[in-house]
Amino acid sequence: MRSYALTINGTRHEVEVDDDTPLLWILRDSLGLTGTKFGCGVGVCGSCTVLENGQAVRSCQVPASDAKGRSFVTIEGLSGDGSHPCQRAWIEEDVAQCGFCQPGMILTACSLLRDHPHPTDAQIDAAMSDSVCRCGTYWRMRKAIRRAAALMQEEKS
Amino acid sequence: MITTTRRDFLKTAALSGAALVIGFDGRRVFAAESRFQPNGWVRIDPDGAVTLTVGKSEMGQGVRTALAMMLADELGADWSRIKLVQASPGPAPFDDLGTGGSGSMEEGWAMMRPAAAAAREMLITAASTEWHVSPDECKSGDGAVVHPASQRRIEFGGLVAAASKLPIPKKPAMKAKGEFALIGKRTGRIDGHDIVTGRAHYGIDTKVPGMLHVSVERPPWKGAQPKRMNEAKARAVRGVRDILLLERGIAVLAGNTWAAIKGRDALAVEWSEAPNDAFDSAAHAKRLGAAAREKGYSTRSEAAPAGTPAIARTIEETYSYPFYAHAPLEVMNCFAHVQGDRCKIIVPTQAPNRVQKEVADLLGTTADKVEVQVTLIGGGFGRRLAADYALEAAEISRAAKAPVQVLWSRADDMKHGHFQAASAHYLAAGLDSKNQPVFWKHTKAGSFHNLSAIEPDEVRDAAWYRGWSWGVYDVPYAIPAIETAYVPVDVPVKHGPWRAVFAPSSVFARESFLDEVARASGTDPLTFRLQLLEKPATFKIGRRDIDRRRLRRVLEMVRDKSGWGEKLPAGHGRGVACNIYSGTTHIAYVVEVAVANPGAVKVKRVVAAVDCGLVINPAGVEQQMEGGIIWGISSALKGEITFKNGAAEQSTYSDFEVARMNDTPEIEVHIVQSDDAKEPFGMGEPPVPPIVPAIVNAVFAATGKRIRQLPITPKLLA
Repeated sequence: MRSYALTINGTRHEVEVDDDTPLLWILRDSLGLTGTKFGCGVGVCGSCTVLENGQAVRSCQVPASDAKGRSFVTIEGLSGDGSHPCQRAWIEEDVAQCGFCQPGMILTACSLLRDHPHPTDAQIDAAMSDSVCRCGTYWRMRKAIRRAAALMQEEKS
Repeated sequence: MITTTRRDFLKTAALSGAALVIGFDGRRVFAAESRFQPNGWVRIDPDGAVTLTVGKSEMGQGVRTALAMMLADELGADWSRIKLVQASPGPAPFDDLGTGGSGSMEEGWAMMRPAAAAAREMLITAASTEWHVSPDECKSGDGAVVHPASQRRIEFGGLVAAASKLPIPKKPAMKAKGEFALIGKRTGRIDGHDIVTGRAHYGIDTKVPGMLHVSVERPPWKGAQPKRMNEAKARAVRGVRDILLLERGIAVLAGNTWAAIKGRDALAVEWSEAPNDAFDSAAHAKRLGAAAREKGYSTRSEAAPAGTPAIARTIEETYSYPFYAHAPLEVMNCFAHVQGDRCKIIVPTQAPNRVQKEVADLLGTTADKVEVQVTLIGGGFGRRLAADYALEAAEISRAAKAPVQVLWSRADDMKHGHFQAASAHYLAAGLDSKNQPVFWKHTKAGSFHNLSAIEPDEVRDAAWYRGWSWGVYDVPYAIPAIETAYVPVDVPVKHGPWRAVFAPSSVFARESFLDEVARASGTDPLTFRLQLLEKPATFKIGRRDIDRRRLRRVLEMVRDKSGWGEKLPAGHGRGVACNIYSGTTHIAYVVEVAVANPGAVKVKRVVAAVDCGLVINPAGVEQQMEGGIIWGISSALKGEITFKNGAAEQSTYSDFEVARMNDTPEIEVHIVQSDDAKEPFGMGEPPVPPIVPAIVNAVFAATGKRIRQLPITPKLLA
C-alpha cells in the first residue's frame, strides 16, 4: 500500500492503494466517482473509459503505479452541468437507453472528435467499435457524434 | 416467467400530512384506509411538486419516462416539475411489482391513469368550489387548474389542502385521445441528464458505510467440489477480511473491490473433475434435433376443411437454435445487510417482490422484514427476473454479520446466468398442385424455464404448452391445415427468460422456413406473406386475438419504404420477416445484407415498421426498435454460449461477441399507428424475434445459401 498522487477533474488527490490497483477502482472506491463504470475489467467493453489530455483511456487497464502523477477527466468532470457538446448532442438525439455504458461512450466520442472534428463513418466505426452497448444505441450514437461535431463547430465560430 | 396479470390492487389513497396521495386498482379508486401512510402512485405537495411512484424497473426500455408521461398527461401536470420515486415491495399496491413480458405499457395504461384522473377531478372540484363555478367549466394543465371563462388559475399546490378533504371519485373520467398534451409527443428520457453527467445511480454504484466488497468463486457446474485452493495466500492479500465457504461458492470479503478480486484470484481454486456425462451443448443440440421429430404435445390442431386440395409435395427442415447469454453491461450485483431477522437489499432487479419473498424464505423471516430498494438497471433483458444474486448476497451478509456488496466479474456473469435455452424446430409444409400451401407443421423441442420449480399440480394442457411456445402455435398465416406441438427436453444448466422470452427461436425457424416455402411455391416471399394474411381478417388462438390486417399494414409499409423488388448489387440481398408479439405489437422488417467472401455478412440497411397500438413516446418506440435490431444482429451474426464438461465456455465480450458500432446498419423505423388504437402495447421485447429471420432470408437472397442454425458463421456460408 502506497500513497499515490493523481489529478482527477482538475483536483489533486492522494490515495492509499496497492501498486496494481486499477485507476477504475481508485475512481470508484477511493474517490467515489461512480460515473466511471465497471463492465468487463479486461479492456474489451469501454465502460470504464476516461480522458487523459483529451484521449480515451481504459481506466481498468491503468494500475496506480502507472497512473501516479497523471491527470484524468471522468464523466463527472466533463462539464459538470451537462453542457458539453457531446452531452447535449446525446440528449438531443435521445441516445441513452439503460445508460450504463454511456459515460464511456461519450468520453470515447470526445476523444474521437478531438482527433477528427468532422469524422467520417469509417472514423466513427474505428473509434467507437472497441466499446459495447448491449441496449444497441449505436445508430443514435452515430447521429449524436455528428451533431456534437456541428455544435463544436458552432462554439468555435 | 413473471406473469403480469391485471390483478385487483388494494388501493391506498392516504392523506399524508397536507399532501394529496392517490392510489388505484384499475377499476376504482379507493378511499384512504389510513392516514399518514404515504403509499400511492400520485402525490402532490403543497408546494406544487408532483411525485409519481413508478412500480416498474427501468432497464433501458424507457418505462419511467413513458409511465410518467401517462400520469402527468392525465393529471395535467407541469412536466418540468415531475419527480419520480421508485416503488419498493410492500403492502398493496406494491405487492406485485415486476417488469417483464413487455407488459408495462398495457398495465400502466389500465391501472395507473385512473389515479391521476381521480387526483385531477379532485383538484378541479376544489378549484371550482372556490370559484363557485361548475367543474365542467374548469380544466387542468401545466400544473394548475384554470377557469378559462374568467381566466382564473390556481396552481395544484394551492388546491391540495381542499382537494385532499374531498371524497375520492369512484369512476374518474379519463381524457379522450384528442385531449392528450404529452402522449404521442417525442419526449426525452426523464433520467437523460443524470445519465450523460454520470449521476445516474445503478446497483453497482451502491455505497453504504462499513460495507464489505465481495467476490465469489462459484462451482463451474452443479455439484463441483473445490479440490484445492490457496486460502492462506488469499487471506494474505492486503484488504481481504474473510473467506467464507458456502455451498453457492467461496466468498472473498474485503475492504475494497480490488482486494476482493485479487483475493479471489489468489485462491486459485481447482475444482473436481466434471463427470463423463456432464452437460455438453453439442450433444444436446443432437438430442433436440431428434426430439423435434417426436409427436410431442399438441398446441394447435386444425384439419383442412373439406374441399381443400390434396398435398402434391411436402418440404421439411429442422432448424437449430443455440444458447445465448444476456450479457448486460452492468454485471450482477447486490447489496445486502442482514441484522437479526431483518434484511435490507439494494439491487438492480426486475422482480422486487420475488427478491423480497425469496430472501425472506432464505432467512426464515417474513417478507415485511425484508426491505428491497430497486436501483436503475444497467441492462435487464430478463436476467434480472431471477433472485439468485440477491439470495447469494443475503446469505453472505448473514454469515459475515456485515453489510456486503457482492459484485460479479464479467466471466461470472457470462458463465453463471440463466441462459436463453437452445431449441430445435421441425417444420413441414405441404403444397398443392398449384403450389399453394395447404398444410403447416411446426414442432418445437425446447426446455421450460428452470429458475423456479414448476408446481407439480399444474395442469399440463394445451394452453400450458402454448405458454412455452410463443411464435409456434400463434403462427398468423391462413393455411388450411395447421399442426403445432411442443416436445420438452430437460437441460441441467440454468435457463430462463431472455429478451422476448420464448419467441426468438420459434420466430427464427417459422419465418425462415416460410421463406423456403415461398420460394418452393415460386412466389415472392413478401407477397406470399400478404397472401396468407388476407382472410379471415381476425382469428383467435388460445388466449390470443390475432388481427392479420395490422400485420399486413406493417408488411406493406416495409415493402413500400425499402424498395422491395428493386435490383441490388451482386452479393447483396433483401430479406423480409414479420411477427405479432404476444398478440399485441406487430412488426415487419426488410433487411439488406452484403455478403463478402469468404462469407462475412454485413447488415447494410434495416427498414422497420411497427404497430404497437397507441404510441406514448415515439422516441421510446424508435429506440426499442433500433435496440432490438442490434440485439438480433448480435444473435444472428455474433456469439453463442457453448457448454463443455458442464460449464459455459465463454467469459467475456471477446468470446461471446455482441454487435458493435461497426456492425450497425442504417436503420429506418416507421410507426404505423392505427386510427382506432386505444391502448399502448409493449416495445422492449417485440422488436427482437423477427429481425434474425429477416437477416437469414436476406443472406439466402444474397448467396443462395439457406441458414438453418445460428449464429451465421463464414463456415456455414462456405
